[in-house]
Formats: sequence, structure tokens, C-alpha cells
Amino acid sequence: MSQKFYRIGENLNVVTKIYGQAMKDRDPKPLQKVAEEEAAKGVDFIDVNIGPARKGGEELMTWIVQIIQEVVPNIPLALDTSNIAAMEAGLKVHKGRALINSIMARPERMDGMMPLVKKYDADMIGLLWGPEGMPRDEHERGMLTAEILAKAAEYDIENERIWFDPIIAPLNIQQTQLISAMDYMAMLQDMAPGSKSTCGLSNSSNGVPEHLRPIINRAYVIMLQRNGMVSAIVDAFDDELWDVVDGKKPEAVKVVHDIMDGKSINIAALPKDLQNYAKTARVILGQVLFSDSWLEI
Amino acid sequence: MAFEIPKQIYSGAIKPVTIGKGPKAITLGGETSYPFYVFEGAMPHAPRIAMEVWDVDPGEDWADPAKEPFKDVLGDPVAWAKKCVNEYGADAIALILVSTDPNGMNASPEAAAATAKKVAEAVDVPLIVYGTSNQEKDGEVLPAVAEACQGMQIIMGPVQDKNYKKIGAAALGYNHTVVANTPIDVNLAKQLNILLGQLGVKDSQILVDPTTGGLGYGMEYSYSVMERDRMAALTQEDEKLQLPILNYVGQEVWKVKECKQTDAEAPQLGDQKTRGILMEAVTAVSLLLAGSDLLILRHPDAVILVKGIIKELAS
Repeated sequence: MSQKFYRIGENLNVVTKIYGQAMKDRDPKPLQKVAEEEAAKGVDFIDVNIGPARKGGEELMTWIVQIIQEVVPNIPLALDTSNIAAMEAGLKVHKGRALINSIMARPERMDGMMPLVKKYDADMIGLLWGPEGMPRDEHERGMLTAEILAKAAEYDIENERIWFDPIIAPLNIQQTQLISAMDYMAMLQDMAPGSKSTCGLSNSSNGVPEHLRPIINRAYVIMLQRNGMVSAIVDAFDDELWDVVDGKKPEAVKVVHDIMDGKSINIAALPKDLQNYAKTARVILGQVLFSDSWLEI
Repeated sequence: MAFEIPKQIYSGAIKPVTIGKGPKAITLGGETSYPFYVFEGAMPHAPRIAMEVWDVDPGEDWADPAKEPFKDVLGDPVAWAKKCVNEYGADAIALILVSTDPNGMNASPEAAAATAKKVAEAVDVPLIVYGTSNQEKDGEVLPAVAEACQGMQIIMGPVQDKNYKKIGAAALGYNHTVVANTPIDVNLAKQLNILLGQLGVKDSQILVDPTTGGLGYGMEYSYSVMERDRMAALTQEDEKLQLPILNYVGQEVWKVKECKQTDAEAPQLGDQKTRGILMEAVTAVSLLLAGSDLLILRHPDAVILVKGIIKELAS
């Protein structure tokens, strides 16, 4: 695997009860602890999601960037908020090159946030969420990419600083959107040479029983990675996912690739863990209709 | 080279399910092509029509034109069911246990079971027994019905995700068929069929009710989901969806404003009776084209119309 796959740890999130409370109470301990644990797992970025943070967002982001960088100074943060002032406050105190998570493909969001990229020497996630919401297919994703590139040119932002996020929908309700995100990935380097890419991988398994989610995330990341995806916002503690993207599970990768290539595979003859990869790949590709019991049949 | 009409290749078939017993038992399913595509495959068992019978007098709940054909039997489900079979040629009876609605009369499972048994004994066609879609109450009522109708091979529904174990076990114990019902979603439909299978219910004992929307009130959603269901079953060999489909059309059509408004209330909509019958028939035919195998209809004139269309299309 020649291309490095960057992992952005998703675990430090305001919607998680314990971290949300710690943010509210300005209690650094639980936040620093999870950041250190993510660091120990070797994440490339730590996503710091403070939500919309309408009130006091600037102060909160300033504080949280400082307390996290105090314990993990060498890992850059992905600053995750829709509050532009809070984003800037975080960038001001962040050491190293932060990742702005994210800038939507809407004129007012791009004009509001793109100036921060050069001003603070940051990278940005270009989220393919347009004025009309979620793109319906790979072509609309392409159109939104063009919008972002045009704006980025105005603000003198190089492709290399932009991490395009095609937006991942849940498999159990919008399977065709997963295909569309893959097809888009295959076109991205033609549209934006040198750009990077990322995605909210866990969204692919949203709504599926908790214990069944990891296999969807893992099988799907194999497909995305094959089509050029270079990073994902992931559960930092899913060790098998790491093995998958680091080339340490070549047999699982091969099974998924074979299914993508339409090769006929005797699934029943595979060991159980590879059967799960094969079945999940078939469901993602729409060869088999999803149901919560997809691994059992 | 002569032109050849392209043909869809089918890799799967709908499994036949036989309901009822004796000479009037009917077999549903068995299709090896899309609905009525008899130029591409076989449709060995044409779709059938069950007529709707309530266990109570519907009173104000039914529009007058829907009650008129049954005015001498309303409130007497046995006589009502007989009339549907003897006069209107129903292939099956769908007894709706409206009395058990916990938000209405809240009749006991025992009382409802006794009614179901009487109706089952009175007619020789297959009997479908439907609860009120209150999952908890149906989970009590339908097992009682299953026991009372032991040996009669009835069809029970709607079986849903929170009561499938209770009703499915009763169906297994007393050898009945179940109707698996999910809220207009093909993935959920598949999942419930899997769960019933894991419980031990055989495919030959399952019909699928994808939830029906009436004309103007979501029919196209039901249509799309059924279409997707048949595509998976016939072209993707999705075994868990290769089951006949049932649609409860009567209530979904006749409960809407356009069917209930009288000529005086809505003169611009035309004759109320014609209007209701056509809305019911149009909904029914649309759902047949999407893959329905068994329709529960209300008005005898709609039954005649739909039967005529089935005859034309299936032969």
C-alpha cells in the first residue's frame, strides 16, 4: 500500500455524553484522556467536535485546543464546528497545521471560512453539501467540487490543502448513495489533481445494530480506498479497521476487490470473517438487498 | 439478422404459497417473471381477491356506497362473509377484528377468536384474519384466534417486528399462514421474513404485506417498494423476498375524504359511488402491476372490475 491513509479520530465529540458534559464543565480530564488514548492508537488528526456552539463557542474552542495540545502536542487537530468565530478562535491558538472541519459548498460558508485557510496556514475539508443540501449522485458531487475549486482559487488555496468529503449516507436507507460516493472518488483526481479526500466513514453504518457497524465501515473503506480515498474520520479504537487500511488484512481486501470486480466467489467456502467481508461488500454494491440479518443469510 | 425483442433474464421465482384447505384452497405466487409479463415467463397462479368483512357494524366509518351492498348483513360477520362468497364470488374472506382495537371497543382475544372460528366454519374459502395493527393487542388476539381455528389453516396478520414471535409461534403450533407486515420499506420487509424464518416459520407459510397506500395517499410509495421487492426476488435471487404479496386495499381507499364526501358535499367530484369504486379499482390494478398476489377489496363492483382486468392480463 503505497499511499498513506490518514486517520482522523472521531471520538472526541460533544454528542458523547461524558465529553459533552466535560466541555460544558470545562473539565479537561476526560477530554485529555481520550485525546491521549487516540494518540496512543496513532491517529493522524484528532477531531474536536464542539457542535454548533452558538453561545460561548469562541471561548470553548480556544480552551479545548489548548488543553488537548498540552497533552498531545504533536498531533494536529481537526477543528469541527459550524460556528465560524469559534473556528477562527481555535485556529488562532492551534500549533501546527490544523484541519478545518468543514467548509460546505455554499457561497456564504465558503466566503466566511476560506479566508481562514491561508490566514492560519490550515488545511480544509471541502464538504460536498450544496445550497440544495445533499448531492443526489456523483455528478452533483462533481458540480459542487467545481464550486469549491473556483472559490478556493479566489482565496489562493492550493488543491493540496483541500480534503474533499463526498458525504457518506447510511447503507440501510440510501445504498445507492454509497455507490455514488465511490464513483465520485474515482473521478476526483481528474477534477482536482493533488487534492486530498476524507469522509465520515461511520455514517455508512448509521442506524444498524451497534455490534454490526464495524464490518460495514471496514468493507466500505476498502472500496473507498481503492477508488483513491486517502483518509477517513473513524473510530480510533477499531483496531481491525486500522489493519484493513494499513494493508495488514490483504485477504479481506482481496475478497472485497474481487466482489467489486464481479468475480464469482464461493462465499460459503471462505472462513467466517472473510464471509462477513464478502457479504457486506455484496450488500454495499446492491447485489443483495440489505437487512439487519445480512451476515446470517 | 432478424430483430429480436430483448428479454429480461430472471434468475429467481416467487415461491408458491397455498392458503386455506379443501377444494377452495388457493395457491398464490409461482411467478417466474415480472407481473403479467407472460411473454417473458409464467404466471401459473393469477392474483386473487379476498373481500373485507368487519366483525362489527362499521357504522359511520364506512361511506354509504360501501355499506349499501351489505346493508342486510352488517354487524353479522358470518352472514356477511357468506354473502361475499355466495353472491359476490370472493376467492377468500378477510375478517378484520375491529372490535379488538384497544382505543375502541377493546374486545377480548377470546371473544374475537370465537367470532373468527364461526366465520371460518361458515365459509369454504380461505379465511384471512387481521387485527388492528396494535402490536401488543394483536400479539394477544391472533394467538387466541390461531388456537380457536386449529386445523382450519387460516391466514393471520399483520405480523410485525414487535409481535412476530408470539404470532409466528402460534402459527407454527396450529399450522396457519402469517402475513408479515412492515412500513413501506423493502429492507425491513426482508428483515422480518428472515426473523420469521429463524423462528421456524417456513416460506410456504408466509405472505408479505408491504403496507398499502391508497390512490392519492401514498400508493406510489407502496408501488415502488413492491417493484423493488419483485426485482430483488426475480433478478437478484433474493430468497427472502420470493414470497407472494398481499395488499389491504379496501380500508386504505375508502377511508379517505374523496370516498367519504357525499354528492351534496362534493358535487365537483362526481357521483360518490362511482368515485369510490373507481378509486378502489385503480389502486388495486396499480398494485397488481407492481406485483400483488392477493388483494383485500371492499366493494363488490370494484371486485368485478379488478377480476375482469386480471382475466385479460393474465391470459
